[in-house]
Amino acid sequence: MIMGSNMAECHPVAFRWPLKAKTDHGAVLMHVDPRFTRTSAMCDVHAPIRAGTDIVFLGAVINHVINSERWNTDPFFREYVVNFTNAATLVNRDFKDTEDLNGLFSGMSPDGKKYDNATWSYQRERPPRPAVAGAETLTDLLLQRVPGRPRTDPTLSDPRTVFRILKRHYSRYTPELVEKVCGCPPQTFLKVAKNLLDNSGRDRTSNITYAVGWTQHTVGVQIIRTAAILQALLGNIGRPGGGVLALRGHATIQGSTDIATLYHSLPGYLNMPDARKAHDTFRDFVLTEAVPVATSYWGNYPKFAVSYFKAQFGDAATKENDYGYDYHPKITGDHSHLPMFVDMMAGKIKGFLVMGQNPAVGGQNARFQRKALAKLDWMVVRDLYETETSAFWRNSPEIRSGELKSADIKTEVFFLPAAGLPEMEGTFTNTQRLIQKHDKAVDPPGDARSDTWFSWHLGKRLKALYADSKHERDWAIRNLLWDYDPEPAEAAHWRIKDEPSAYKILKEINGYTFADRKPLPTFAVLKEDGSTACGAWIYTGVVPEEGVNRGGSRKADDWISPGWGFAWPANRHIMYNRASADSRGNPWSDRKKLVYWDPAADSGTKDAAGKPVFGKWVAPSGEGIDFQPTKAPGFKGRENGLGFDWLSGNDAFIMRPDGKAWLFAPAGLVDGPLPAHYEPYESPVENLVYGQQSNPVAKVWNVDGNPYHKVADPSYPIVVSTYRLTEHHLSGTMSRNLPWLAELMPELFCEISPELAAEKGIRNGGYVTIRTARAEIEARALVTRRMRPFRIGGKVVHEIGLPWHWGWQGSANGDVVNNLSSLVADPNVSIHEGKVFTCDVRAGRKGGAA
Amino acid sequence: MNPEVHAPGWEWYYVAMYFFVGGVSAGAYVIASLAELFGGEKHREVSRTGYFIAFPLILLAPPLLIADLGRPERFWHLMLYARSGFPSFNIQSPLSVGSWALLVYGVMALLSFLDNMVEEGKVRNAPFARFYDRRPRKVYAVVGSAAGFFVAGYTGVVLDVTARPLWAATDPLVGALFVASSASTGAAAIFLTMAAYKTLPKLHRAAFERFDRFVMILELALALAVVLIAGKYAAPLLRGINATMFWGGAVLAGTIVPLAANWFAGRSAPGDRISDNIVVLMAVLVLLGGALLRISLVQAGQV
Amino acid sequence: MAKGMFVDTSVCIGCKACQVACKEWNGLQGEPAHFRNDPVSMRPVAVNFTGNSYDNTGALGATDWRHVRFIERFSEDRSRARWYFSSDSCKHCGDAGCLNACPTGAIIRTGLGNVTVQQDVCIGCKYCIPSCPFGVISFSEGTGTVHKCTLCNDRIHNGLGTACAKACPTNSIRYGDVADLRRAANARLERLKSLGYGQANIYGYDEAGGLNVFYLFLEPPAVYGQPERPVVPQRRLPGASAATIAGAVAVGVAALVCFRERGQAEGKDEEVDK
Repeated sequence: MIMGSNMAECHPVAFRWPLKAKTDHGAVLMHVDPRFTRTSAMCDVHAPIRAGTDIVFLGAVINHVINSERWNTDPFFREYVVNFTNAATLVNRDFKDTEDLNGLFSGMSPDGKKYDNATWSYQRERPPRPAVAGAETLTDLLLQRVPGRPRTDPTLSDPRTVFRILKRHYSRYTPELVEKVCGCPPQTFLKVAKNLLDNSGRDRTSNITYAVGWTQHTVGVQIIRTAAILQALLGNIGRPGGGVLALRGHATIQGSTDIATLYHSLPGYLNMPDARKAHDTFRDFVLTEAVPVATSYWGNYPKFAVSYFKAQFGDAATKENDYGYDYHPKITGDHSHLPMFVDMMAGKIKGFLVMGQNPAVGGQNARFQRKALAKLDWMVVRDLYETETSAFWRNSPEIRSGELKSADIKTEVFFLPAAGLPEMEGTFTNTQRLIQKHDKAVDPPGDARSDTWFSWHLGKRLKALYADSKHERDWAIRNLLWDYDPEPAEAAHWRIKDEPSAYKILKEINGYTFADRKPLPTFAVLKEDGSTACGAWIYTGVVPEEGVNRGGSRKADDWISPGWGFAWPANRHIMYNRASADSRGNPWSDRKKLVYWDPAADSGTKDAAGKPVFGKWVAPSGEGIDFQPTKAPGFKGRENGLGFDWLSGNDAFIMRPDGKAWLFAPAGLVDGPLPAHYEPYESPVENLVYGQQSNPVAKVWNVDGNPYHKVADPSYPIVVSTYRLTEHHLSGTMSRNLPWLAELMPELFCEISPELAAEKGIRNGGYVTIRTARAEIEARALVTRRMRPFRIGGKVVHEIGLPWHWGWQGSANGDVVNNLSSLVADPNVSIHEGKVFTCDVRAGRKGGAA
Repeated sequence: MNPEVHAPGWEWYYVAMYFFVGGVSAGAYVIASLAELFGGEKHREVSRTGYFIAFPLILLAPPLLIADLGRPERFWHLMLYARSGFPSFNIQSPLSVGSWALLVYGVMALLSFLDNMVEEGKVRNAPFARFYDRRPRKVYAVVGSAAGFFVAGYTGVVLDVTARPLWAATDPLVGALFVASSASTGAAAIFLTMAAYKTLPKLHRAAFERFDRFVMILELALALAVVLIAGKYAAPLLRGINATMFWGGAVLAGTIVPLAANWFAGRSAPGDRISDNIVVLMAVLVLLGGALLRISLVQAGQV
Repeated sequence: MAKGMFVDTSVCIGCKACQVACKEWNGLQGEPAHFRNDPVSMRPVAVNFTGNSYDNTGALGATDWRHVRFIERFSEDRSRARWYFSSDSCKHCGDAGCLNACPTGAIIRTGLGNVTVQQDVCIGCKYCIPSCPFGVISFSEGTGTVHKCTLCNDRIHNGLGTACAKACPTNSIRYGDVADLRRAANARLERLKSLGYGQANIYGYDEAGGLNVFYLFLEPPAVYGQPERPVVPQRRLPGASAATIAGAVAVGVAALVCFRERGQAEGKDEEVDK
């Protein structure tokens, strides 16, 4: 099922695999989407839903599944769910669900702005006796704080079990609700639900694939959670052909989040030191971040963190100075894109480095963002072409309208030429976590340089500037290891001799023993004593020995292809694949065999008497085993252990502190332990499911220049969704400057249903003007039955579509669609709600001409 | 029929005008040579005039053809294959065969023209004079009239043997239509020239007018037939400027009116002769009609 | 051993990678008619929005050697919803109208069966253009000659396949021996028919002498903008020639009858002016 994604258009190369499954193996492809797109054209079923109502649809599938005869009688589902999910776990007696509070959960603050998740916690046994008395190491600190095991009822009959709470929570999510809220015909919905259920079980698995059609909502994280819950209930996680596949939104953005260009994490998804949290000292940091998750594989948090600091600061990082923790920057708030621009508009940000990004077109409420740029003292833009962002000061709609005057803009703009794709060496990490080496083919022309070159040399110059500083705050820059000088052999071939060594960077990410600089073969050997350095523990193994980059291996087979590239972690392609075997370690079926327990295999270890111990997990396909290889299925974890010691033989979900897939999320999310339907922040209708209209803790910015529409505002009755096309790339910098691509999709157009077009007198090929409280734009009209009106709770709701690739630079120009949207975001990860908001539409051009 | 078949983008003032000029020249030559072969001395004046105008007219053809080429400097590729230099001939391509026919016709027209000059004593050059002889004249006439018929008709085949809906739908009649039109315009050109040189009195009117009448009736019939067999694909000829040119110009002014005049002339008593001025006017109309016939067909096929 | 391509439209996702790869390999420009000079930025800007689904290319042209067609087939209530994609190009016909029509021998068929225009021989007479029943070959004002897909003539003569086939992410366009491709196409057609696609058909086994670049359609060819029964125009040459000759004979006979020197005195119905 492809939902929240237009895979054929936006991930066309990846799409060949689902298509191959369909053409060669009879797989059923289903597309759930407001529009009929090129993906829908290739699918067997298209289920139309109003934008932003995904949780209703998915929740109704959950409801359908857990009340179905098959799910309740086929023993597979019970075995999977009881053993591998937290369905049986008992929840705090004070927890109150949306069913009790008309759309809210217990723990909401009096001002209605923040949840306290104390009542969402598990019921637990008493804490065990600690395994250590004193705390010599950070790990000891964790050992002293192991909580009691969660209490469970494997019969699932206690009303406080996660399962009972979940069942009650989704009981109102019926096919009728789907019709009323999503506008999807019940028979179409049931076709989707039935296909998923019928195609799950011992012998068959179903996959759900999504992309930014799910993430870019104020309930984005919760939408994804609903799918994860569904897949866990269907027993599809950790199994071949199953899972939830996140199609990332940009090439190698997986690598970008892995190595943490996100403000709130350190490489390997460690948390960033945060001045707002109890992070004053390194000890505090470990206690705050690691204790809640120490019974999962994150119990190795101290090893990951120390190795990270060692990689950063080298010899200067010692036990005595907490490996430089005190000098490491700490965040002080939400520094993500939207609030950063709010601060920029308020004059709080002086300088801005923009690398391969174009917020003047790609940013929400783009006019706001362009005007904010004028408040900077300086801005550096690195790109292949002059982007709208780099040109905002001399040519933009605001300049042309006179709202901004070039002479009054004090921002000093530096435009530096960047290298293009074939001109750079490095690795890509794709949406499957697969690291693939990328070879440089040619030097970039003239002064154009790669981002790695720029960052490295910038750092070198800064280090030089701060070399003699005596200030403590400059310790980090001065002591940054930063040794990426290329070997002569690496530079010999090229005109540009001072490009940093991509290999050294990757090796540092991989990790090495500090004393002899030998690469580490696995993150299992990371230490917290400073003897290992590791930039990002999840990548360990990509450089298993000196000179070897597994990202460059290219041995393919018909299935897992473990010899092709390197999938983190540890070349495991399907995460949590312990779940591909049952509670006794046997494959669920021969057809779906992946990882299973072989009691006769030599585990490679010897017992106390020196005799070989038998039994280990095997994967004939070469797939990495996402579990402790020698842990028997029946193993009972130690009550007071950490990580692998605590986790039992059925705790497949090794990154969760209880080793289970979370149907119910007691921690980690700020807007609720269970997904519930909230309307998008701007919606033409009231929430027909609960009294709570929209996500109560969504991030909003009530500042000048960012007005929001009221709920069911009659001035903006039409739903609008923004999206991408195959022919263009994001804000169009890399595609609208190429004539071959410009002529494929030359002008901004708006997709409109014939019903709406007739109502407004819009004719195909003519112009249409779209308006929100933020801005007004014009587009060519593409009238097509692929767009449709929805009947929501008895009233007709129209939806239009706008691809957002256009700006004023390049060989294909058009208005900036993101002028229309507002600054509003998901509260967990601050992602903008770009997929759905409201607007009004009229025939004709902006100025009034037809 | 596939409306997506591309139009060639031929300019009317080159390609259609070449069709016209070639047609007039060939028509005049064919009349001249047939009149000589079948009619002998009686129609000497017609032959003389025809031979006199055919060659200069055909001289206009190559520049018109070459001007519409994308690479005019390569026109000689029509005769010689560029890679080898050997003669180039593609029997499936009317353009290829037509280029050779044009060459043969042109040579014959030149020979007949020179022959004429020698006979009239305008060229006294001894080597040329040696060519003047009764037998070669007949050879030129036979070969030249065959080539002339080809030049007159192949341009219609050029159009019909394409996939453009209008042209394909009018297949196989346009070639014959152009032959008939060449004959009528050739006759008109001969009339006009005789009027200009004041040799009309030497014309055996009745025979010539009978021939002219037959040819114009044939042309009218073929023009109507062409539109009829095209059926729904004839639409471009039924609206706009192309319709005006075809129906108003080619059919009405260029064929029906002169045909009417011709018929009246035939019916009149020996004493009433239609004036020379009328004859000249009719000839002009026929020529105009012939030009508009080709322009409208070529342009309507590219709409 | 003719080479060709099998275009399986049932797995085409309309991504247009084929169009771009073709332009890239062959060094083609943006189609000039698609651009106009923008007075403000002083650079050419694309203005060719057609409103015809996602197809702004419109037709094959001198610099558009591949053209993806988008066919929306929706019933009014949307109960029937289909969107077909079909990547059109030169079909390298076994009996090629353009090759037959070319008077200079510029258009040739190579030993691998593909039809290509020798750019140094073409004189730009444009006769091949209306001679193609599929509307493929086109004229370039810039070069004064005609252009079309060459089946990547340089690549295929050096052991490589066509650029479009290489770029196609779903293997909708496949390059190879026509005989092998036909086998694969037949198998695919069988499978589709067994899945209920009763109207699925192969286009190009018999048309125009057999198309070396042939298609699998899910509905009749006319839905995809292809002529149902294309006629190679030169097949009509004998007929057109015969009719023209008949016309010539008629005129000749008329001349014979009207001009013939008769023995009898010509007095009564003729007048000779003095």
